[in-house]
Amino acid sequence: MAAAALAAFAAVGSLVPHFLALPNLLNVVRQSSIIAVCAVGMTSVIVIKGIDLSYSGLLAFCPMIAGLMMLGGVGVAPSLAAGAAAGVLMGLFNGFMVAQLAVPAFITTLVVGQICEGLALLMNGGRSIGGFPDSYVFIGNGALLGVPISDYLMVAFLLVGFFVQRKTPLGNHIFAFGGNDGVLRQEGVDVKRVQLFVYGFSGFCVAVAGLLLSAQLDTVHPTQGDAYQLDAIAACIIGGVDMAGGSGSVPLAVVGALVIGCLRNVLDLLGVHPFMQNVLVGTIIIVIVFMSGQVRRRNAMATRGTL
Amino acid sequence: MSSSSRSGAGVPSSRSGGLPAALREFAGAHVSFLIFAVIAALACASVPNFAQADNFAVVVRQSAIPIIACIGMTMVLMTGGIDLSLGYIVGLSSIVSGILAKNLLLPAPLVLAVVLGLGALIGLANGAIIQFGKVPAFITTLGSGYILYGVAQIVSQGSIVNRLPAAFLAIGRTSLLGLPSSVFIALLVAGIFQVLIGSAAFGRRLRAFGFGPKAAGLSGVPVARINVSVYCLCGALAALAGLLLTIRVNAAQPNMGGGTFTFEAVTAAIVGGTSLFGGVGSVVGSIFGVLTIKIIENCINLLGVSYHLYLAVQGVIILAAIVLGNLAHRRG
Amino acid sequence: MSEALVSMRGIGKYIYGESGKALRNSEVKILDGVDFELRSGEVNVLVGENGAGKSTLMKVLGGVIPPDEGEILMDGHPVSFRDPREARAAGVAFIHQELNLCPNLDVAHNIFLGREPKRRGMKDASLMYARSAELIRSLSCDIDPREMVSRLSTAQQQVIEIAKAISFSSRVMIMDEPTASLTKREIDMLFGLIKRMRSEGMGIVYISHRFEEFLEIGDRVTVLRDGRGVGQLPMSEFDEAKVIKMMAGRSIDSLYPKTHGGAAESVLEVRGLRLTPRTPPIDIDVRAGEVVGLGGLVGSGRTELAKSVFGARRMAGGELRYLGRRLDRWNPRRAIAAGMAYLSEDRKAEGLVLGMNIRENVSLAALGDFLRFGLIAPRAERSKVEGLVGELSVVARSIEQPVATLSGGNQQRCVLAKWLATAPKLLILDEPTRGIDVGAKAQIHGLIDRIAAAGVAVLMISSELPELIGMSDRIYVMREGGVVAELAAGPDLTQERVVQYICVGCE
Repeated sequence: MAAAALAAFAAVGSLVPHFLALPNLLNVVRQSSIIAVCAVGMTSVIVIKGIDLSYSGLLAFCPMIAGLMMLGGVGVAPSLAAGAAAGVLMGLFNGFMVAQLAVPAFITTLVVGQICEGLALLMNGGRSIGGFPDSYVFIGNGALLGVPISDYLMVAFLLVGFFVQRKTPLGNHIFAFGGNDGVLRQEGVDVKRVQLFVYGFSGFCVAVAGLLLSAQLDTVHPTQGDAYQLDAIAACIIGGVDMAGGSGSVPLAVVGALVIGCLRNVLDLLGVHPFMQNVLVGTIIIVIVFMSGQVRRRNAMATRGTL
Repeated sequence: MSSSSRSGAGVPSSRSGGLPAALREFAGAHVSFLIFAVIAALACASVPNFAQADNFAVVVRQSAIPIIACIGMTMVLMTGGIDLSLGYIVGLSSIVSGILAKNLLLPAPLVLAVVLGLGALIGLANGAIIQFGKVPAFITTLGSGYILYGVAQIVSQGSIVNRLPAAFLAIGRTSLLGLPSSVFIALLVAGIFQVLIGSAAFGRRLRAFGFGPKAAGLSGVPVARINVSVYCLCGALAALAGLLLTIRVNAAQPNMGGGTFTFEAVTAAIVGGTSLFGGVGSVVGSIFGVLTIKIIENCINLLGVSYHLYLAVQGVIILAAIVLGNLAHRRG
Repeated sequence: MSEALVSMRGIGKYIYGESGKALRNSEVKILDGVDFELRSGEVNVLVGENGAGKSTLMKVLGGVIPPDEGEILMDGHPVSFRDPREARAAGVAFIHQELNLCPNLDVAHNIFLGREPKRRGMKDASLMYARSAELIRSLSCDIDPREMVSRLSTAQQQVIEIAKAISFSSRVMIMDEPTASLTKREIDMLFGLIKRMRSEGMGIVYISHRFEEFLEIGDRVTVLRDGRGVGQLPMSEFDEAKVIKMMAGRSIDSLYPKTHGGAAESVLEVRGLRLTPRTPPIDIDVRAGEVVGLGGLVGSGRTELAKSVFGARRMAGGELRYLGRRLDRWNPRRAIAAGMAYLSEDRKAEGLVLGMNIRENVSLAALGDFLRFGLIAPRAERSKVEGLVGELSVVARSIEQPVATLSGGNQQRCVLAKWLATAPKLLILDEPTRGIDVGAKAQIHGLIDRIAAAGVAVLMISSELPELIGMSDRIYVMREGGVVAELAAGPDLTQERVVQYICVGCE
């Protein structure tokens, strides 16, 4: 599987001019890192059979809070902390609605996303803000030892996500919830706490992604999150996260994010209409979910009991 | 998506008689009207310039097109699904109608037919993927919405089409009794669907499917046909809304509608009493739902508060409505 | 002889009404003064028909539900369990028929779910794998603890559940129909496991209806019937006829109405129907004016057969002929249009649309009869529904009452009314009187008889032997997806004979 992917990568590289150039690849990774950090959070949400549609709003709301604080004279670090905290709080709210009040995840997160997008517009009268302190912009555009900081952040989140999934009991509980939550409850695990964590962590990831995005752009535009919502979901789906829940690996979701980044880059280099990328990503999502559903149903039929 | 048990959703619990009980049952069945009445009363009492004939006309005019879209969303919600592509169908139909009317100079009735057909086709595709492809509704329509947004942008080639032909504009701008014809189109659509959902077999079967798809299927309800047709109808209504919006602003643009338009339709439907779990919903309720949130929008304008507050407020309203709905219909 | 490991005395459990309250005054209880004993180092086989109370009794022992009367003693000390985890902590493990595992986790992570060992703050996976391997080895099995549970066969998944139970130092193991989906070889391996656990002093409760199997593995047989303990025998004294009589030998004191005459023309012919590619072909005939009973245990395929006839389930082979016509591309809508009706056993999920009222439910299957240009004619609908509701004596304030507020018996009458509104030629009934009080049962029996007398072909699935034998002109007995016997009404159609076919198969 990996060999085939590398071969495909090389083939594409040879056909598309400028693709395999190092500055281009590093740029691709830098841009994909936003999606990648989102995907880390989204993976666990999908594993517990949920979805988080609040990304589009939070990707603007969190940096807007941090940005306004920075422009108002508050230091960079506390501003970033406030932005991240906002994301976590929204995530915990999502988790509370889903776990405690049994509101379907898609509507809760959709609504919270809209509220946040509305607040982001409200906070500065619909206008963008920019001109942030250099230290903040450096996070988005600077490099350490030749590698962009964004990439380090992406790897850091990949490791954190991987660690939680594979090296903690909570990770096992998250997967169990997606596989058979009845058993998990029977074993006395507090499933509400599991859900709260997953959505809270998701909120944290998207907050960081938003802060990173605005650092890269040196701007916070109130609607900057719209494009990334679907990319985050697509990254997970391409990375093999099962929409039916119970299965999905963080590292593979990050790979999925890189695939999306490369895809967009290749299409740009080929001069394809920018919005054709939308059409492609939307189609990929539907097709992959459809096919994985077919496979799942065929397997279920094959392993059915006597009757 | 795990589906929660639907038993008891939307069932008013019956208690032994008396005036308080009768009032309570009336309230339960007509919540949307009561909410509308309360909001309208509050607005009249506390917002200056609200209670004037001109302003009422504004609210009515603003409500007409969202009512058309909301009726489509209501039907979809009644099956327990969602159509997140609605706002993007609006955008696509907007730019397509502009191109057909102005660039290709097609006669107005033909433009109407083609645009409606396009919306129906998109809805049909949505419905087919959801029913036969078994892809969950929110994923299907999230993806198709994104696709349609891209297609609309590509078709528009980066420009908007304005100064549309008068014959085309006449569809929605012809003035009758002081109101534009789009209001009467909305009334016509509402009337048709009130009959369809309230009195026709379609509505009965739709509600049965929404409450209990297994029981409905075993009772002979054509579940596949119903599930696909609600998305088809929703697509057509969204396209109609897009066309009328284009006429109202005399500009065809791919950004028309969008996610916020979808969101408004969902908010209005839920405020109007539609249940997310299926089975419960009505045209009349959704009309009051639209009027209610348009009154709120109107008040926000009159009070000089930022329009962006309206988006946030809608969200809070939906959450409140959902939470209250959950508590009211808590199954025993 | 060893001291009793578990002693259940006088266990009682009331029937619970629609509102969730216990019906203490009801004559019928789910469990009534049942005694059950298990010694360490023995396999006690628990037998009884559908509804005898076996599962309920074991759910009480396993902590899933509390007893309303009686006490449980372990090693002579009284115990009470608030939930299955407390029961497990006391040493009682329950291996259910539907296995309780997460298919998307591997073996070790399933075994240690909720109690994952930690080392330096992190999950200690290597310890989990090592301990799991040990547990599995102690059962003389060979399953890789890193294997995904979804990739294991049912038999292997069962071994994992047993391994999990042992890891809690269980001393009592309850196994509910453990051999249902196993091959002969897997059954032998399971029995080897059971024998080993027995020799280590475990007490095992083995619920089963397969006489040929538990003769091999059991030490004792305990028989339940209608919620009461009927007796128990050591396996050395096992006599098939005696046990069957204990299981089914109740006196039939209610008379069943039988005014319908003989059978007329053929309405339904089922030839070679296979429910799955692996089950035997089924042949069945139902004629106008007769009541054909379908007996067998839960899980024997009766409902699946009914749904296949109705078009709600795809067949894996075979042919259906209805009124002489071969059926092609069949679904419930076409079935209803052709005159078939199916009263499902799951009233709440499949029989009624709970969010709607009586009128909307009763008219649903026959909606086409009330349409004028696609619109529902309210007066025609109302009068038809009121007529049926009156005919079936549905007790309600009005036909606008939500069906969710009706009692079980009235709900069932509504479902029946819905099907009668379609004027069916073939009426398929799946447990028509389940969960209904005695008076309503008699009324429904009378109704079924009158329907048959009017010339309708009736196919009736029932788990209540007196009802099945009393109402049917002929009975097919099903077992494990196939029909094992066809019995005609008469003096030698006894309850014992039916049970014999269910438990022993064909001669």
